[in-house]
Amino acid sequence: MEQHVGPRRPLLAVLGLTKHFAAVKANTEVSLEVWPGEVHALVGENGAGKSTLLKMIYGVYHPDAGQMIVEGTEAVIDSPAEARRLGIGMVFQDLRLVPALTVAENIALAIPTGVTLKLRALSQQIREASDKHGLSVDPNAKVGHLSIGERQRVEILKVLMTGAKLVILDEPTSVLAPQEVEALFSVVEHLRSQDFGILIVTHKLDEVRTIANTATVLRGGRTILENVKPSDYTNDELIEAMVGKSVSDLTRRASTVVTTDRAMALTMTGINAKGDQGNLALKGISLTIAPGELVGIAGVAGSGQRELCEVALGLRPPVTGEVTIVGKKIGNPRDALSAGAASIPEDPVADSIVGRLTVLHHMVLNGRRLPAGKVGIDWQTVKSTTDTNNDRLGLHIAATSRNVSELSGGNIQRVILTRELSLDAELVVAAYPSRGLDIANVRRTQEILLECRDKGAGVLMVSEDLDELMSIADRILVMHDGHISGEIINADFDRQRIGQLMIGGAA
Amino acid sequence: MSATLLTPESPEVAEPEEAKPDRLRPILATVWRWTSALGVALIIFSILLLTKGANPFQALGDMFKLTFTSSRSVQEIFIQMAPLVLGALAVAVPARAGLTNVGGEGQIIIGAVAACGAFLFLGDSAPGGLIIVAMFAASMIAGALWAGIAALMRLWAGVNEAISTLLLNFVALDILLFLIYQPWRESRTGQPTTRELVDTAKLPVISGTQVHIGIIIAVVVTVIVWAVMRYTRWGFKIAVAGGNAEAARRSGLNVSMLVLSALMIGGALAGLAGMIHFAGVEYKLRPGFGYQLGYTSFLACWLARHQPFPILVAAFVFASLSVAGDSLQLDSSLPAATINVLTALILMAVLGWTAKRKVSV
Ligand SMILES: Nc1ncnc2c1ncn2[C@@H]1O[C@H](COP(=O)(O)OP(=O)(O)OP(=O)(O)O)[C@@H](O)[C@H]1O
Ligand SMILES: [Mg+2]
Repeated sequence: MEQHVGPRRPLLAVLGLTKHFAAVKANTEVSLEVWPGEVHALVGENGAGKSTLLKMIYGVYHPDAGQMIVEGTEAVIDSPAEARRLGIGMVFQDLRLVPALTVAENIALAIPTGVTLKLRALSQQIREASDKHGLSVDPNAKVGHLSIGERQRVEILKVLMTGAKLVILDEPTSVLAPQEVEALFSVVEHLRSQDFGILIVTHKLDEVRTIANTATVLRGGRTILENVKPSDYTNDELIEAMVGKSVSDLTRRASTVVTTDRAMALTMTGINAKGDQGNLALKGISLTIAPGELVGIAGVAGSGQRELCEVALGLRPPVTGEVTIVGKKIGNPRDALSAGAASIPEDPVADSIVGRLTVLHHMVLNGRRLPAGKVGIDWQTVKSTTDTNNDRLGLHIAATSRNVSELSGGNIQRVILTRELSLDAELVVAAYPSRGLDIANVRRTQEILLECRDKGAGVLMVSEDLDELMSIADRILVMHDGHISGEIINADFDRQRIGQLMIGGAA
Repeated sequence: MSATLLTPESPEVAEPEEAKPDRLRPILATVWRWTSALGVALIIFSILLLTKGANPFQALGDMFKLTFTSSRSVQEIFIQMAPLVLGALAVAVPARAGLTNVGGEGQIIIGAVAACGAFLFLGDSAPGGLIIVAMFAASMIAGALWAGIAALMRLWAGVNEAISTLLLNFVALDILLFLIYQPWRESRTGQPTTRELVDTAKLPVISGTQVHIGIIIAVVVTVIVWAVMRYTRWGFKIAVAGGNAEAARRSGLNVSMLVLSALMIGGALAGLAGMIHFAGVEYKLRPGFGYQLGYTSFLACWLARHQPFPILVAAFVFASLSVAGDSLQLDSSLPAATINVLTALILMAVLGWTAKRKVSV
């Protein structure tokens, strides 16, 4: 682009990159540039081809056609090692650190340090690099004890220490709580001021506006907008470029379900439950959710939200206390499913995805009876039900014959959402339902959750996005350190007060 | 902005339903990988023969001729292949559920012991048909229960089944030795063996050949196993449990029962292998009964990547190698163990060659 004058040249220029997987045109003639001192946002709907492009730049995939020019010289990046040699580093969405090792040990694995491991010297280097870039990483901490945000910073440090000048971040914010996003952005800001180039994927427009100087929009594997300044476009224009249509705001509406004479969708009484480390993660929780009520759970990450969902679904036996779903006592996952529970797990890839199976196979993993065919399962029926549900819900899942392991992050989430939210459930437990989704699908998912509620389901929704909760919940419960520290009814939603409750302040 | 009126063209949505993966290409790729791997193994083996002063073309050519052109040795291949197929299926079914069954050796012995027990219990006077049916049933039940011990150890005490099935092999061998040295021994003075089966209790041969019907049983069972894994609910469920146990648990599947049943079915198949080797080839239990059959089956299963029909091919390859080993020894005065080198080379070449290329990051 011409506005950059003088001897400067882009760190990376991508020209007409194309990558097709059999029938799937993941990238077609994609071009973009990243300059030193620039934060370049790569945006687009789920399956638009963002991750594929990044993986080609990092040498994981090999382009079918096109050129990559690194600092003025054409480069063939045929492996991640080659990418690193050229000064390109990538932080994947699923972080790849070894939990049992310390930060220094993890970084030692990535950096060629010769035969003998000089951990002490490396720790010193880590401390210096961490100070220099404002990352506050402790080299001696065990990775298993770090939060997701901290692990991400370790990954960034690792990338910087391998000599990267261009740092690629694939959806770093979709797994972060709002405070962690701020911390990440101040690191990114600092890197920009040091003339690093940053290529970052996000689904959130306000993040694009906060952090990026330049943006490129992909849709259907093609560049719709290329190296543009976000401030030249309105939100609506950007959204339209991303999804090809405008996305209206969610209109909030109150529940109209008559709940007298009906059993509570969920009751939890006096629940104490242990976390994975054997600590007490839930301390004396009692709550009820009425049919036709959407209850939001707010809280700082790790306050017991995960354990709460698991106890409600019979997945984690409580130490004391009782759970019922529509009046039926819950002792194990089967009980919960047959009482009519549906769930969106916090980590779908770890908890719901079976790598070798297709989308169609995944549609029956919902705890309901398998439709019987002459022999075994009647997949034809499964297919037609799936098509009907897919049309009704409108989340546009991938073709049912596709293998899930090759779907993009957001498309995996859409498969799980379509399966679970089409069940006519009595209780829906949804942990971070809009994680990894593009704008249009976030909106659609929120609408579907409201439709479930309006049909009489009780909905328990965990989210770290207060705006999302305040726009959709009938009631918000705030969790802090395994307790419910406060409850706020719809009309009184107040950001400040919720914030105070989240850090344990008195209501 | 020019993009306004376009319909969203995301590949996810636009992809036609018919875009099924090309079926032929993976098969051709597999065939190519196998042939090239076998080629590499043969070249290395030839070099080895050269260093031993043998002419590789001569030796390999003779070996091939003796193995595949004489009707006797071709029949021998099919005889040896039968228990290998069943033993490999005994690994494949649990593998589908994410389990490693290294216990084929012991389950085969226990199957044969149970078959022999059924014969000794019923005695000579029972009708032959009844004896054979009882032997089949006993061998499969015993194999299943034997493998079930390992499954329960896993479910109750968290013992890894790869270890427990392996250890149970030694226990099974001890049981065999105890029985043939003590209560079931035919004569105090002769070899430590059991009494030979009566003719009516031996597996019949395919008419016009010396090949007993074990190979037919093995092929039929292969088809059944394939169909069960592919079409039944149980087959689907163990694939889910084996692919991601947490996903299985969350969707309400009883993972413990699936682990137990998959390992027990594996044991039953190995027990069946023991039965046909006993009633088709050996007719008596002796100290070396079925030696290495379980381990060879385990390798054959890996060679076939745990898939039923490729197991038939892999078992054929192993059986041929074993028969070829005998001819090599007779013919070119190379030690019989030479063939083990070739077997190992083939195994390593095929496994190494066909391993999915991991993306290094
Ligand atoms: N290894 C693969 N094999 C086959 N298809 C693939 C593979 N990787 C990606 N795809 C397909 O390519 C398309 C683009 O996927 P990609 O992961 O790049 O999307 P994305 O823009 O990152 O989406 P998301 O926002 O959901 O993460 C999708 O249709 C996806 O299913
Ligand atoms: Mg992606």
